[in-house]
Formats: sequence, structure tokens, C-alpha cells
Amino acid sequence: MDRRRINGPPSGTRPAVFASSIKTAPGAATERPKRQRQSNELRKIFLKTGIIPTASGSSYVEFEPSASLAAAHSSPQSLIPSSSSLKLACTVHGPKPLPRSATFSPNIVLTTHVKYAPFAARKRKGHIRDTGERDLGVHLETALRGVIVAERWPKSGLDITITVLEAEDDRWWGDAADSHDASWGMMNVLAGCVTAASAAIADARIDCLDLVAGGVAALVSDDSTKDEEGPKLILDADPAEHQSIQSACVVAYMPGRDEITELWLKGDSSKASLGDGDQRVGHEALIDGAVDAARGAHTVLTEAVKESAERFIRQAMG
Amino acid sequence: MAATLPSLAIPGQRLGSTTSYAAGPGTHVYDAVIYASIAGPVIVDQAQAKSKAKSLLTVSRSINRQTGATPSGAATVKPTVSTTAPKPATTKPKLKYNTLPAVDSVVLARVTRVQKRQVTVSILVVLDELSSSQVSDPSKTTSDNDNIESILSSAANPENHSSSDELRFQALIRKEDVRAVEKDRVIMDEMFRVGDIVRGTIISLGDQSFYYITTARNDLGVVMARSEAGNMMFPVSWKEMRDPVTGLGELRKVARPF
Amino acid sequence: MAQTAATTASQQQPIPPSLALPPSQFARLQPHAYLLAHLSPPASSNQPSIRANGRSPLQFRVTSANAGSLTHTNGSAVVRVGDTAAVCGVRAEILHTDDIASWSVSRPAAPESNKKRRKLADTNQKPTQESADVATQNNKEDGSEDDQEDESYIQDFNLLVPNLSLSTGCAPGFLPGAPPSTLAQGLSHQILSLLHSSRLVREDDLRIWYQPLDLGAEDLERRNESEQMDVDAAQNDQQHKNREIKAFWVLYIDIMIISLAGNPFDAAWAAVVAALRDTKLPRAWWDEDNEMVLCSEAVSEAKKLSLRGMPVASSFVVFEADAAAGWRAVVIPDAEEEEMIDEAKRKGLQRRWILADPDGYEEGLSQERVSVVVDKKDGKVVVLRMEKNGGWAVGPKELRQVVDVSAQRWDEVKLILEQC
Repeated sequence: MDRRRINGPPSGTRPAVFASSIKTAPGAATERPKRQRQSNELRKIFLKTGIIPTASGSSYVEFEPSASLAAAHSSPQSLIPSSSSLKLACTVHGPKPLPRSATFSPNIVLTTHVKYAPFAARKRKGHIRDTGERDLGVHLETALRGVIVAERWPKSGLDITITVLEAEDDRWWGDAADSHDASWGMMNVLAGCVTAASAAIADARIDCLDLVAGGVAALVSDDSTKDEEGPKLILDADPAEHQSIQSACVVAYMPGRDEITELWLKGDSSKASLGDGDQRVGHEALIDGAVDAARGAHTVLTEAVKESAERFIRQAMG
Repeated sequence: MAATLPSLAIPGQRLGSTTSYAAGPGTHVYDAVIYASIAGPVIVDQAQAKSKAKSLLTVSRSINRQTGATPSGAATVKPTVSTTAPKPATTKPKLKYNTLPAVDSVVLARVTRVQKRQVTVSILVVLDELSSSQVSDPSKTTSDNDNIESILSSAANPENHSSSDELRFQALIRKEDVRAVEKDRVIMDEMFRVGDIVRGTIISLGDQSFYYITTARNDLGVVMARSEAGNMMFPVSWKEMRDPVTGLGELRKVARPF
Repeated sequence: MAQTAATTASQQQPIPPSLALPPSQFARLQPHAYLLAHLSPPASSNQPSIRANGRSPLQFRVTSANAGSLTHTNGSAVVRVGDTAAVCGVRAEILHTDDIASWSVSRPAAPESNKKRRKLADTNQKPTQESADVATQNNKEDGSEDDQEDESYIQDFNLLVPNLSLSTGCAPGFLPGAPPSTLAQGLSHQILSLLHSSRLVREDDLRIWYQPLDLGAEDLERRNESEQMDVDAAQNDQQHKNREIKAFWVLYIDIMIISLAGNPFDAAWAAVVAALRDTKLPRAWWDEDNEMVLCSEAVSEAKKLSLRGMPVASSFVVFEADAAAGWRAVVIPDAEEEEMIDEAKRKGLQRRWILADPDGYEEGLSQERVSVVVDKKDGKVVVLRMEKNGGWAVGPKELRQVVDVSAQRWDEVKLILEQC
């Protein structure tokens, strides 16, 4: 028992079980949401910097809800949300002194933390970071380390903290828990983290080589997909919208240099192809898809960072 | 050539070639091309006509009104061209690549500990090169480490007041760096007291945890101090300050008032 | 907003000429003198006393609220008070009475004995509660008769579980990933005790009933529905001899302080109230076949909580002109000293200010703090809680003023919460 927190009933509690979800015949009322976007069409990203004035830099990222979720918001029928849309806040603190115990560093020392709010996902998250959250922190750090001009900020530290207020689903809620066999939603979260952190670091005016952006591509198969067509490559997949995901890839990408600072690919990507006439297949196609998604995020990033610079100038001019 | 420069740059934005410009703070060079590394106004420091030096391209992290840099952020504004008045090379401000304390930076710091051989201070403000050399109107510069709004909103850490010092860079003033004369007769207790605000310059980046500061100049030393009674004192000589209420004097290494 | 006000204020305000420092450096080097210079402008300037952030002493920051934007919650809200922002999400989970160790022991054989047991518990708790809370006696006016004895389960079985987190990067100095800081722990406990003492959530809303099948299935279905609709269903206890509580809803109330710029409590509490107002619980029943509680996913069958009132928190700090006040040994000011202060006040020389809704800068410069929670019922102000610590400047006269200001603030916050 954790005495530093308010604890619930000692016996623990159970999440609500909906009658419709245990009926033997699959309920006709609720169906898997369908992707309404083109295969190369991204969800809109809302990105704003400078929301947290006590931090040296900050940003807030929100993915536009998928069509089904948006519809559920406007005229709610069911208490079970059809999908989920990413919402996260990022702060940058520093450059600040390194802890006394640290050894001398000629570079800036980066620390990254990603934590889900307890209410961020369908399943209640604990207060202590789990392995998934730690993983995200490590992936985020590698994505950023290659971007920051670290030697320009000797013997100082930079803390990047991300609070995920709403995460992406790993699969459709109606599917069995193991049907997608991997935490695909986490990859979308990572892409959002990269883009958010990039904006917050620029807002803190820490030197960077480029604005690094995150993007996701996935190889999916749906009921509608005919066998001969094989799985389909799509950008910015919402895992709730697909029956099965064969493979997915997230990149952190610097368009100015055409460089990938972080790459994370899961699943079997051998059947991926970008479309008619395109030579690239397999994981190359999937990575290129993720890079395209990152380019899309980069345009949003550019606008937000410009806005941050203009705000700074206005502030300085009084 | 200059007309192709944007007025406002964002990290990764291509600014110009190294054949026509020299890369300054806020930029980096990749493949003989200068790119912005921070977001901010682009400033071209025109080289003097006679010298062969290239114009210096910087992305500014401080809006310096004295140079007349007034980019409005509108895309139509041409990059600001500031012509540095011919000055002796020695007074030319050093390039500042970050907001951290650097060698020769003038800082204002609060004394946190007085020991026999050294005092520990916590750096509160790193003064801009310009504001320290041209004190005539210091309010005209703003750099990002003194945004009044963020100072006001930031909590003196409610947890534990001493830990707010952990968020500030720490520095030491060693006994031999206190003053230029009679170094061997320095008694630390008669130079500084905990809570005093000291103006000093950085002499070395020091070790992992401390910078080194000197006050061995007339204009350096204690600038603000409270007496034992708790009142703000005023300087009466280079080694004494006085409490206006009690009239009692206290010893300090006093910075020459301007 | 406050930002522009702050800059203009700092430009207008006179700063001692001897200090050739820009305002920002002055603010950092001599925070106390900086705030004092703003609050006590020279009499000749004819300027009003104004804080460094541009607000008048009793002015609160611009406040906004937005509810229901988080998908995976039963209710949620974001509240911004100036630059302090709190996000609150309420998640309801189920606690089976079979899982409550003490349930089978204390299990009511008949509703009658149940009431007695609860009454007993109530009287046991009274003394401790009263020491913390100034006034709860007003609760009688609340209406429903069941109010008196319906709260003990909420406290006994931990049905409300608030936790506040500052490890979000909300301010420098709070390490992400570290265990909750003392401040976070304190705030969580304050919220919990205020939830209990204000009796905001009705226990009746949290009960999940079981009615054994001695009627036709259809009949039962109808009855269940009507019970859900009827807030005071519990009163029909006597008629439903066999009805029993099979489970409770447990509300996990998590508050993430996303940005901390002073006075987290007011924002956090407002977020809790707004999120609870937004909270909908699904219709739930005990399913004998599956031996578990099942819920209906239909939004139309879900029910909002019926909260008791709308408590609003307002916090204040006291700023002393005497910078050394905090350093000196604590001496209770005698009458003579108080007279001097009053005298100075008459001459227009204020030495002490009560500042509403302090920002982080002001919190760092004050020792004394007052926090008031008020509600209004039929235009009558009810003080639900009052907490004062760290000083002696606030006496009965000042407290009255603070309560008046808090009552005005209640009107403001009510409008904001009702529209979100």
C-alpha cells in the first residue's frame, strides 16, 4: 500500500462490464469504426506552444478524433467510446544545473519522461511508470538526442516531461485482448511525443539541427480487404479502425536533412508496398510511409514554432 | 543577396551559404550551408567595408532594441541590417551562443554560504554583454532569461525554499578572488554575508558543480545587502555599508555605485 | 489578459531610481521590495495599489473551465485559473460488497439496524471532523431526509479516491517520476477531506442494488428503471424487504496539475467539482447468472450525479511590508503594535495586504495563508471550510472580509462552471 497516495478500497475494484460486451452473439449495435480517410491522409494535428509559462518551453498536441469518435461526441449513444484520440502536454525545463552528484559534462544532458494520466486509456493506469511508459521515454530520448546541438550548452541539463492525457487504442475494444498482439497505440503516442517535444524544445530556444517530427505508417488488413489484394499500407493508422495490423513503423524524422533519428518497426512488413508502380516494398515501403506521415506533422510543427517566435518577439517588444 | 533572407527563422531553416556569410549564434553549418538552430529574428551584422570579413548571420535569442532590430514577425519585413559602429576591436561584444554563464559574463548572485576560504553563491541573473557595458539604459534589452512574466508566475518552490537554489547555477568566490589588493588580509566574514546580492564576473567554468567568480574590481562586489536589523543598507565606502534606520555600519566588499 | 496587464503595470510603476536595474532583474533580486513598490506607490503619484502581476489586491485571475473532453472518463474537466491549469478525470469502477471484508459482519439484516449502525459511526466521527471544518451544520437544509445517515459508506469503504499529481513538469523543482511531493500529498488529502465534509457526492448515487426475483421478469425490469430515475429510491427500503446492496461505484478522481503558477488548490478543487458535475454513471445491476455487476452502455439510461451544492474554494495570502517579518522571532503583536498599524492605515500608509488568488511569486513572499470554501444556498452564504496557517495578521475583521470576497467569487465561478 502506498501511504503517499489516497488508496481506494483495499480489495481493489473492477472496471465496469457492459452487458452488450458479454452477449454470446456479437452485438449488431456496435461495429468496428471504419476509416474514413484516404490511405495517405493524416488526421489533423492541433499543436500549440507556450501554454505553460513556468516552463522554459511547452507544447500541447491533440490529434483530431476519428470520424466515428467525433460522431459519438456530437450525438452520444453508447458509453463505450468507439476509439480514442491522442492528447498530450509537454514541458521543457532548463537549461538548468546538473544535480550535484553528476559528473562534469561538456554537453547538455537530456532527461525524458513520459507518463500517462490514470484516465488516459481504457484500462486505468497506475501511478508508477510501467515498462511501456519507460520504453516511450527511452525512444523519445534517442529521437531527440540526435537533434539537439548539445555541445552549445555545457554542464547543464534539460528535462523533457510528457503527460499523456488521452492515449491511442491498441485495438478495437470489441476485439479480444490479444487479437492485435502488440501495443500499436503506443507507436502513435510516440509519434505525438516526438512532435510535441520538438515544438517545446524550439519554444525553449535550445539549439536544434532541425524540427524533428514523428510519423506512423501501418500495414493493415480489414474484413473488406480481398485476399488477392493483400494487406494495405496506410499512414497514421488508428488501430481501432482495423481488424488486424500486421506491421507498423514509427519514425522521428528531420526533413531538412532527410535523416531519421529514431525508428521503431514491429511486425511482419514483407507484404508492404506503396502502390502501383512503386519499386519500394517491404520494410522500406513502410518506413517511407512513416516518413511521409512525419513530413505532414512537420508542416504543422513549422507553423506552431513560427507562432512561438512571433509571440516571443511581441513579448520582448512590450 | 540579403533580400533572400527571411526575417524570422525556425530551426532547420536554410539561411545562406558559408561563401557569403559567417555563421553566428543561433545558427549551425551543414554542408557549407548556414541553417537556423533556434527560432527568432534573423540578424545580419554587416562586416566593415574595409575588412575582408564576411557578414555575420545570427538568429537572435534576445531582442536588442539598441541595434534597432525591430522585426515585427510579418513576413514582409526585410531582415534587419545593423551596422556596427566602428569601434576598437577590444570592445566588440563577444558572441553569445547560449544563455548560460560564460567566462567574462557579468552576473548577479546571492550569497548562500560563507566559509573561511570561499563563499558560495547562487547565480540569479546573467547580465547581457551590452547592458553591462552600457549601463546607461539597461531596461532596453531583454533576453530570454529575464522574461518578467515567467519570473512572476514561477513559484519559489513551495516544497522547500532551499531547493530553488538547486535550480540555479552555483558559483564560488575564492578568498584570493575577492579583491585585487591586500589579498592575504581578506577575512570572508567582513566581505560577504548570506543573503547579499553580489555583482561578479565569471573567471572559469569550474568543475561539474561550480563556476568561479571574481569580485576583484572596483565595480564588483556587494550591490545590495540587509543589515543585521533587516534593513536595506546603503554604501558609504569601498568597505562599508550602513543601515539607514539604526545608523550602524557593517563591513562588506562593496561594489562601486554607479 | 493578465499578461498584458502585467507588462503595462511594470512599466508604469515607479522603481527606486537608485537601482539602475530593469524590472525583471529587480523582480528577481529583490522580490519583496519589488512587490512592495507595486503595492505602495508614492502618494504623490496618485496611483492605486496594484500587484506586480497587474491585479488589484482582491482580484482573482481570469478563470475558464471546459468539461467532458476526455474520452475514457465518466466525467472530466480542465480548469485554468490564470496560468495554473488543472485537468481532472473521474473514472468509476465497481466494488462488490462480497469483496468488502467488513461487509458480511456489519451486513444489515434489515434496514432498521443498518440505520442504527450508521448513526453510531456518525457520532464517532463528529469530534475529529469538527476540528478540521468550521461549519457543516448547514447540511440539514439540504432537503432529502436520508442525508443525515447516508455518508458513512463513502468514508468507510473509500468510495471516493482523489489523487493529485504535480509530477507533470508543471513547474521546475517537481521531479517527474518521483513519488508525490509533500505538497501533492497535502493537496490530495485536502481534496479528500473536503469531499467528505462537504458531502458533495450522495452515497445513494453510488449504490448498486439487487432485487431477488420474486416478481415477474418484466416487472423487475420496470422497477429497476424507475429506481434509477428516482433519486430517493433508498427511502422505499421498507417496501423492498429483499432488496440488498450488491456493489458500490468507486470514483477515482485524478487531478493532473498541468501548469503550476501559484494557488493550485483553488484550480484543482474547481476541476474536481466541474468533473463531478460532468460525471455520468451507467445503469448497473447485479446479474445473477454471471454473478457480477453488469452495466448498460446506453447513454440514455446513464445517470448524472446529483451533487449537493457547488462548493467554491478561494485562497489568499498576506503580504507584509516589513520584509524581515518572516525572519524575526515570532512575537504576537500587542495591542500597541496593532494600533500603530491602524494608525498608519488611516494615514494612507498600508503595511499589510491580503492578496486573493496568489501567483507563485506572491506565495513565495508570504507566510500567512487563508483558504475558504463557500457555497451559496438560496442566496445565503455557507462556509464549508476555513483554513488559516502561518501567521497572525488575519483576525476576525479580516476573516469577514475574506469570506465576503469568497462569496463574490462564488458567483463568478458558478457562472463559469455552469457554462462549461
